[in-house]
Amino acid sequence: MLKIIQYLLLSTVIIIAADKPTLTIYTYDAFASSWGPAPKIKKAFEKEHNCNIKFVGISSSIGALRKIQLEGKRTKADILLGLDTSIAQVAKKTGLFIPHELNTSKLDLPAPYNDDTFTPFDYSFFAFVYDENKLKKVPDSFEALASMSKEFKIVIQDPRSSTAGLGLLLWVKSVYGDKAGEYWKRLAPHILTITKGWSEAYGLFLKGEADMVLSYTTSPAYHMVEENKTNIKAAPFKEGHYGQIEVAAILKSSKKQALAKAFLAFMHTKTFADIIPTANWAYPVVKGAKLHKAFDSLHRPEKMILMDGVTVEAQRKAIVDEWLEAIVK
Amino acid sequence: MVGSYSEVTMLKGIARFRSAVLPGTFISFSLLAFAFLLFFTLYTSQDGSLFSELDNRIYGLLKFTLYQAFLSTILSLLVGVLLAWALAHQSHFRGRGLLVALFSSSLVLPTLIVVFGLIGIFGRSGYLNQLSMFLFDTSFGAYLYGLGGILLAHVYLNASFASRALLHSFESIPKEKYKLAKSLNFSVLERFLFVEYPALKSTLLSIGSTIFLLCFTSFAVVLLLGGSPNYNTLEVAIYEAVKLDFDIGMALKLALIQLSISAVLVVLSSSFRTGLANLKTSHTLIPWKEPKVLRVVQWFIIGLFTLFFVLPLIVIFLDGIGADFGCILKEPLFIKSLITSLSLATVSSILTVIIALLLSNARRNFTLPTRLANRPFAKVLDAIIAFSGNLYLAIPSLVLGLGFFLMYQKYDGSEIVWATAALLTANILMSLPFALSVLTPAMHKTAQRYDKLAFSLGLSKVQRWFYVEYPYLKSSLGYIFALAFCFSLGDLGIIALFGSDEFSTLPWYLYQLMGSYRTTDAAGVALVLLVLVLGVFMVIPRLLKEK
Repeated sequence: MLKIIQYLLLSTVIIIAADKPTLTIYTYDAFASSWGPAPKIKKAFEKEHNCNIKFVGISSSIGALRKIQLEGKRTKADILLGLDTSIAQVAKKTGLFIPHELNTSKLDLPAPYNDDTFTPFDYSFFAFVYDENKLKKVPDSFEALASMSKEFKIVIQDPRSSTAGLGLLLWVKSVYGDKAGEYWKRLAPHILTITKGWSEAYGLFLKGEADMVLSYTTSPAYHMVEENKTNIKAAPFKEGHYGQIEVAAILKSSKKQALAKAFLAFMHTKTFADIIPTANWAYPVVKGAKLHKAFDSLHRPEKMILMDGVTVEAQRKAIVDEWLEAIVK
Repeated sequence: MVGSYSEVTMLKGIARFRSAVLPGTFISFSLLAFAFLLFFTLYTSQDGSLFSELDNRIYGLLKFTLYQAFLSTILSLLVGVLLAWALAHQSHFRGRGLLVALFSSSLVLPTLIVVFGLIGIFGRSGYLNQLSMFLFDTSFGAYLYGLGGILLAHVYLNASFASRALLHSFESIPKEKYKLAKSLNFSVLERFLFVEYPALKSTLLSIGSTIFLLCFTSFAVVLLLGGSPNYNTLEVAIYEAVKLDFDIGMALKLALIQLSISAVLVVLSSSFRTGLANLKTSHTLIPWKEPKVLRVVQWFIIGLFTLFFVLPLIVIFLDGIGADFGCILKEPLFIKSLITSLSLATVSSILTVIIALLLSNARRNFTLPTRLANRPFAKVLDAIIAFSGNLYLAIPSLVLGLGFFLMYQKYDGSEIVWATAALLTANILMSLPFALSVLTPAMHKTAQRYDKLAFSLGLSKVQRWFYVEYPYLKSSLGYIFALAFCFSLGDLGIIALFGSDEFSTLPWYLYQLMGSYRTTDAAGVALVLLVLVLGVFMVIPRLLKEK
């Protein structure tokens, strides 16, 4: 019996051919999953560089960073992929990463981002998503959001465990500055619940529990492309939209730094950019990449609000505390 | 009769017990040593912030954690007693056995799935609100989110589990006592206070402390239904310390606070005496019927609770049934996750049964006066074994996972091997308290009942096992096996640090689907998981039922 079980357990391990170098990339699970962008990227890059890529999907991008920190110098990761700019500074401070030495000035980004260590591969904008069959009066600003009727409810993510949740806090902070706490007090009655991660929040929204959920301007594209549904929409906000630029960096401890650099450069090619939109449901960072026609109907904010990483890192704790203070009764 | 077996056999017997307690005692000390190693590993990997100040928020969290756990426990026990009382007095209807088995499955249902089922019924756009909209044109709104929701979910998960244990206590009341109560013309309340309550008391205490511990460390329920950071628990703060602040010292400190509060309750819950005993439901009838009013009340309680319990499961079923199973079942990652989950569950449940047997055997040797109870240290050793078996109710699974992960970093080894070991160990540790609470009283009874006979017949260990113990323990063993199996199937705690595409379990896969918009597939996988858990939990104990 034990033998059979052992065999079954072992059979779940993919045996990797030993003659080619293997590049190990830690990322969040949705990116690494079989329906995410990972399999297509793997195929394209492996063909170009005669190597193996191993994506290791971890429950969240912060989780992936923590895993690397726990593993320390012994980590098998060559690249960490999927942090956003708000949290990248935390990673940089660990000193576990090396500069990428790429020229990123030609990238197509709606907000300037120049970091010598982390380099972007896609981006999207935070937005409140709703079902137009159910919500008739759609708020067009934070002010309108807070002054909706008493029954109107939103669901958001906890900034202490989710990058989306943190993004919303930074968005409100950028718009309201010193008055952010006061705004949160006004918004609090409309918050149905605060979830650990994006998944639970979006699940509640799709079940009809909340009128709006904090997600991305690109979320509706999924429902259009994969489910042929056009009723899921993102609400444009007058104040502009906070951005999430997803980035990647090379580990100092990596023994395949040349290959890892080649991969970061590959993230800025058209091949990579073509895969991103309908697999990771975000915008690519390369000009002229082909976008699925569903993206044409999305609201694309002209300007991206983005606080720089150093400021975020310096103020994160204070911003989160201010938020806690405001919504805890 | 007593004089019929000589001093010599007696001494021989004791010598045999002495060697029989060795494996159990050894395992018990290993469990304690492992817990120590776990905290030591955490201690060595933090940088001295262990002694940093706790802020007020933590005290607030602690206060709320205790408060909600207290309320949840009281409510669960109240509902549990009412339900057990109703079931005990309505002891002969079709499908009763099935219903009781279904109720006790609440303990092993995957929490996240259950919570979504509850939302389907009681949520803002759940069926209850829809019905009220249809009938009265008003909705109850978002009443589910907040303390109410937390309590509702905790009662759902724990009251049904409590009712099964309490039902057994009701059924162990000698029928003569009921006859006496009737001849004294007791009212229902008097009957409850003087006849029934004394029989329930010890179960209430032990089940109550177990429920308190489960609610005290509750995580998924509290986060999803709590609604605001007002309603967070200490476990959430531990999560925050580990995940966002990466402050292992803080996490360790919080875990130690949680552990020291829980330790008191662990001691209480280890003292299962009559506890769950063997779980057969007796069918001896009281020779008269309950008064009509009481019958109506009892039927109402049973009916209402059945609806409360079954409806959320039906929602999960309805949500999942629309999924494209042809596609889901063919997905390689699904198959891989299923195989991993089933293999892990099989191994960990077999090991749980073996370890529980050894521990319970050592305990009965230390507690029975016919065995080693009069020897020096017997009481202390018994207490240690009981404590070690229940200890892991108090250790947060996140801390357990982190400890494992740090050990894996320290002592080299393949990740797959470590992940397997971590998941197996964690599952065994989590199932053990429940397994022991079932097995210990049952084994105690077999020894009490058959020791003299077995010794006077001079049965060998093997003979004794096959002729005496096994037939009597069969149903308890089946129950433990099913329990450990289902616990393992539904676990989402430890896998969070070890999971990857190469090492994935069903709940992990489900969570991944939810995280990438694939809600329909997720609902399908949730249904598969639910059917699997319910199937195993209902079928296996039935296969091993006493004839």
